[in-house]
Amino acid sequence: MTKRIYCILFIALCAGSAFALSDAELDSLYNQFQISEVEVTARALTKDVIVPQTLKGAELQRLNALSVADALRYFSGVQLKDYGGVGGIKTINVRSMGSQHTAVYYNGVQLGNAQNGQVDLGRFSLDNMEEIQLYNGQKSDIFQSAREFGAAGNVYLTTRKPYFKAGERAHVRAQMRFGSFALANPNVGVDVKLTDGLSLTMDAEYVYSDGKYPFRYRRVLPNGETAYDTTAIRQNGDVNAVRTELGLHHYYRTTGFWRVHAYNYWSERGVPGAIVNNVWRNGERLWDRNTFVQVQWQDEWFDRWSTRVLAKYANDYTHYLNYDERLLPSNNEYLQQEAYLSFANKVQVFNWWDVSLAYDYQYNTLARENLLLQAAPEHFYRHSHWLSAATAFNIKEYLRMQASVLMTAVDDNTPRVTPGMFVSLRPYPAIDLSINAFYKQSYRYPTFNDLYYTDLGNANLRPELARQHSVEIAYRKAEKTYEINASASYYYNRVTDKIIAYPKGQQFRWTMLNLGTVKINGVDAKADASVYLPLRFVLRTRLNYTFQKAIDVTNENDTYYGHQIPYIPKHSGSVVVSLDWESKRGDHYGLNYSFIYVGERYCQQENTIYNYVQPWYTHDLSLYGEWGVPASKKNDRLVWLKANLEINNLLGQDYEVIQNYPMPKQNVRCTLACRY
Amino acid sequence: MYPRLQILIFVLCSMLFWGCRGDEIIYPTLGTHVTDDVRQGGLYVLCEGNMGSNKARLDYMNLESGTYYSNWYGSQNPKQVKELGDVGNDIQQYGNRLYAVINCSHKVEVMDLKSRHIGQIDIPNCRYMAFKDDKMYVSAYVGSVANPELLGAVYEVDTASLTITREVKVGHQPDELCIVDDQLFVCNSGGYLTNQYDSTLSVIDLATFTEIQKVTVGLNPTRVRVDNQKHLWVCCQGNYADAKPIVQILDHTTVLKRIYVPCSNISIQGTTAYIIDNEFNTLRAFSTIDFTEQSITIDITNYEHPYGLLATADALYITDAKNYVSSGVLHCYSYDGRERWSAITGDIPGHLCRVTQAYELYSDTSEITPQQSQYISKVYEYVPATGQFVNELPKYETGDDEASMCRKCEQAIANNAGGLVSLGGWGGYITFGFDHSVENKEGRDIQILGNAFYMSGSTEYGSSEPGIVLVSRDENGNGLPDDKWYELKGCLYDDPQTKHNVSITYTRAGDTIHNPFHQHLYYPQWIKANELTFSGSMLPSQSVTINGQNVQRILDYGYVDNKPNNDIEGTSFDISWAVDTDGKPVNLPIVDFVRVYNAVQSTTEQTGEISTEIAGAKDLHKNN
Repeated sequence: MTKRIYCILFIALCAGSAFALSDAELDSLYNQFQISEVEVTARALTKDVIVPQTLKGAELQRLNALSVADALRYFSGVQLKDYGGVGGIKTINVRSMGSQHTAVYYNGVQLGNAQNGQVDLGRFSLDNMEEIQLYNGQKSDIFQSAREFGAAGNVYLTTRKPYFKAGERAHVRAQMRFGSFALANPNVGVDVKLTDGLSLTMDAEYVYSDGKYPFRYRRVLPNGETAYDTTAIRQNGDVNAVRTELGLHHYYRTTGFWRVHAYNYWSERGVPGAIVNNVWRNGERLWDRNTFVQVQWQDEWFDRWSTRVLAKYANDYTHYLNYDERLLPSNNEYLQQEAYLSFANKVQVFNWWDVSLAYDYQYNTLARENLLLQAAPEHFYRHSHWLSAATAFNIKEYLRMQASVLMTAVDDNTPRVTPGMFVSLRPYPAIDLSINAFYKQSYRYPTFNDLYYTDLGNANLRPELARQHSVEIAYRKAEKTYEINASASYYYNRVTDKIIAYPKGQQFRWTMLNLGTVKINGVDAKADASVYLPLRFVLRTRLNYTFQKAIDVTNENDTYYGHQIPYIPKHSGSVVVSLDWESKRGDHYGLNYSFIYVGERYCQQENTIYNYVQPWYTHDLSLYGEWGVPASKKNDRLVWLKANLEINNLLGQDYEVIQNYPMPKQNVRCTLACRY
Repeated sequence: MYPRLQILIFVLCSMLFWGCRGDEIIYPTLGTHVTDDVRQGGLYVLCEGNMGSNKARLDYMNLESGTYYSNWYGSQNPKQVKELGDVGNDIQQYGNRLYAVINCSHKVEVMDLKSRHIGQIDIPNCRYMAFKDDKMYVSAYVGSVANPELLGAVYEVDTASLTITREVKVGHQPDELCIVDDQLFVCNSGGYLTNQYDSTLSVIDLATFTEIQKVTVGLNPTRVRVDNQKHLWVCCQGNYADAKPIVQILDHTTVLKRIYVPCSNISIQGTTAYIIDNEFNTLRAFSTIDFTEQSITIDITNYEHPYGLLATADALYITDAKNYVSSGVLHCYSYDGRERWSAITGDIPGHLCRVTQAYELYSDTSEITPQQSQYISKVYEYVPATGQFVNELPKYETGDDEASMCRKCEQAIANNAGGLVSLGGWGGYITFGFDHSVENKEGRDIQILGNAFYMSGSTEYGSSEPGIVLVSRDENGNGLPDDKWYELKGCLYDDPQTKHNVSITYTRAGDTIHNPFHQHLYYPQWIKANELTFSGSMLPSQSVTINGQNVQRILDYGYVDNKPNNDIEGTSFDISWAVDTDGKPVNLPIVDFVRVYNAVQSTTEQTGEISTEIAGAKDLHKNN
């Protein structure tokens, strides 16, 4: 009986902290909930001081989103760079600090790209995703690997975990999605419970799209007369990708678990390129293979000391070929390897005080080969070390604080120390209102491209430094008929020593220099509400608004001094409204509407009419249902069938996120799935 | 029920209309008055723009009003899809035209001197231009057929037809080129081959268009200019490491002098070569006579990145490209070192071209494309051959001369007047034009009206008095039809009975046979000369007698006054039919003048001589 009460208590706590558990805790929660026979102790100290933005489970499935990148558009403070189409690169920029300041973690381990420091989030499917979280600053849970203290913004992707009801030994999922532009996207998954504590998950997905979407350029004269109006089909935007994943989870005792996760992604795609005068098609091709294996082990000693070990090996291959006969041919191969090891420990000194210490090491290599010139391949290496120390303490429910320091040493560069400080104040325990604040410094290290780009690299680059100051007020209220979460934050960031390409003395040759300084003032406001209507209807809404004034303050003599930096809109936001009907058993049907707005921007540093980019906004609709049917007359276990119809860019707006990269007009997707 | 919900829904709905995007506007040029210190003519500034940005921009400085216009090309040609293009790389005036190389749009843009679009030539990865006679030579990083050696090419382009006529393979990544006598010198930079830069000039014989020699110069040559001594100045950039930049001066293929100066740009005016020393951000000057350095007082050391350079007789223009990703600055200096004015340009102002005319921008964009009439507006020439309707259609009156007869023709057939003009006997012609150039678009372009009709019950026979159509472009820009003519090839062009290059002379004295209906003189009375010689093609007579009626077989297509006017296709012509005197097809993007001449010599009993009549013409692409 006590067990059950503890479990319920734990769940209530989880929900109360609004999805605040780290994946490890979730793991153990599931573990305990379903399998274990042992008691659980809820530990307030492991929770995040500042609650991240989260999209998970059913909410994630309701959105009109194909990839992780599409889903991240619904977070505040995030700007997505999207080059269009299923195959176009999609990266995010959190709070205007630049996409390389954002770290992306896949099941707790950072995805690396030492070559250009960017992770293409368009490649990560949502079908396998349990949860996406965005932390500004850092995950304010001190029990984490050292490197996690390093980035300015952090996106955590957590894949689906097996969840077996009593008597279930295996789950099977099969799904087919098809849609405009010849999208074909089958996905299958199998979860097997090998023993009580050990389970295996497998997931495989294939994506094809020919990327041939129509786009239109229409320009008018100031007097309203049409200057030109032309429609064309995007060419060379096809993509072919296969993703396979294998996971092995093992939970033992009450406290320990280990997990092995193997990931492989292979793709071939066209790079459709910029649409400029007289050029309606480009011929570059790109092949990618990303493979990694990661191992995570975690246990607890003497009830007070937790240890986590992470290890990863990644092997990424890229082949770039330019077929375009109007350009000089190029044929390059890149092979990146990464070995990573992390050792983290946390000790609970008292009930109100935790300390942690972590050390990470990473080794990166890049081999670059120009197949056309048949020159000997070039090799680059990098050793990185991170050492972090962190502490957290509580004063009852009123105050929670965390502080961390991270020392980063990359190759022979002077080691750098960056602090982080997080405070959460809850003045009236009766009301779920909290005031949160943080200050954090973080470095973004130059990538191999910055350092060694053909002939233009600069081995003397210093890392970019971002300083973040943020205050937030958050409120939550849950009643029987409704639930509201609302928060607003103000932040001031300053990025110095920004690495930018700058022409060298000689004629038009670029080099990378630590030249830029950017000052960012921003406000993020978000609210979500669920209203439980009669007849089992639920209305859910999610609102986001972001204001960002991100100005270049590098040099007063620049013509763009004080101008908004490229591609950062002052105003952006999103609205999601869904109406669902849910049965007791879990059948549900619903309609989801989402609206995304990105305000006017400039495509270059100077804010002139020639660099002005119009706002864009899209209306997306999706209609979905999931219902269970008994597997057979003898077996009353349900087979769940799901259907989802999405219409994206309902009004067919012709827009560009990045200038000269047109986005698709209205398009549809249809998904049919069953799981057992 | 749920008042808060209602409010929420209301707020959400109102958000749909929030911050709506407007039309994407092509902004007109912005004129900025920058100086009162005026000079004659104007200056074009081609701003490169960064690769992939499609921001090549052509600005114009009116030196007579001291006004700098940004995005001048965009205002002159708002209807060009995706504007001027991606990465401007060269601009030059030749004859009455302006040519701009747009590197990453893979084209040479051809404009009139006001930068109004005339046409374009597609050349992959084109870089620089040189001109001689009626030909343009364009260097390009790639040849038309991809080659494993990554060699570049020089293309020869016919400036009249804007077509590529010949191509020759040269070295790696050819940049600037220039012509001395009958030879073309091209810099093979090898600029894309790090550590394997090229170091040669290709010498091309223009007659055979073959590479006859490679001259070794310094490493990575990018610029070559010819001075008044016919010496070549070759600027070699070195390898940005141990091989230092150098300027070599050559007499043909012999090196006369080596000057160790880093030269990112060069401009030769009179006997002085001005050079931007990009290592020390200074402007230097060298004599083209003895190659000695001369003192110069123009100070550009405060520039971020000096880039474009043009030395003219009265001023020196230098641009500062700043950080290459924002606006640059154009500076104008007197030779005494005084800075006269400066203006803010587009991104990477790299290429300058002085023109002798100053142009004012139209005050209103609607004037950029003035209402253009679909009907012909002007008759330039009217020279009928001896014929029964000559001096009648239109009527000759004592005192009339060639100009007044043209005016009478205009009154009869221009602006849809609905009258008729007779061309007389074989060879007689009329030349007319519109208030605009007629574009050669898909399908037929010009309809020319006559007075042909079918005999009743037939579409095979009727009254057909076929005239041949010639078209011409105002290549020299003087507004007169004195340029090369091209015949629009009709259905009988290749017929064995069609005689080409026929010449017939009519004399005043020979004007003796007058049929009973037309007893007046048949020789054009306003012509002072006593004889008129016409030349052209002569079609075989199609006259037959059916049921006692003198009729002609109607021709399939391609002739004026052959089919009834209500058959729009049958009376219309496609500029794509144009052929040169050898019968080879010619690509004419636009035409300015149309000439029609009577193409048959045939007389029938009942109707007298067959004589083409014109009742007007219209541009099928206009509807005003």
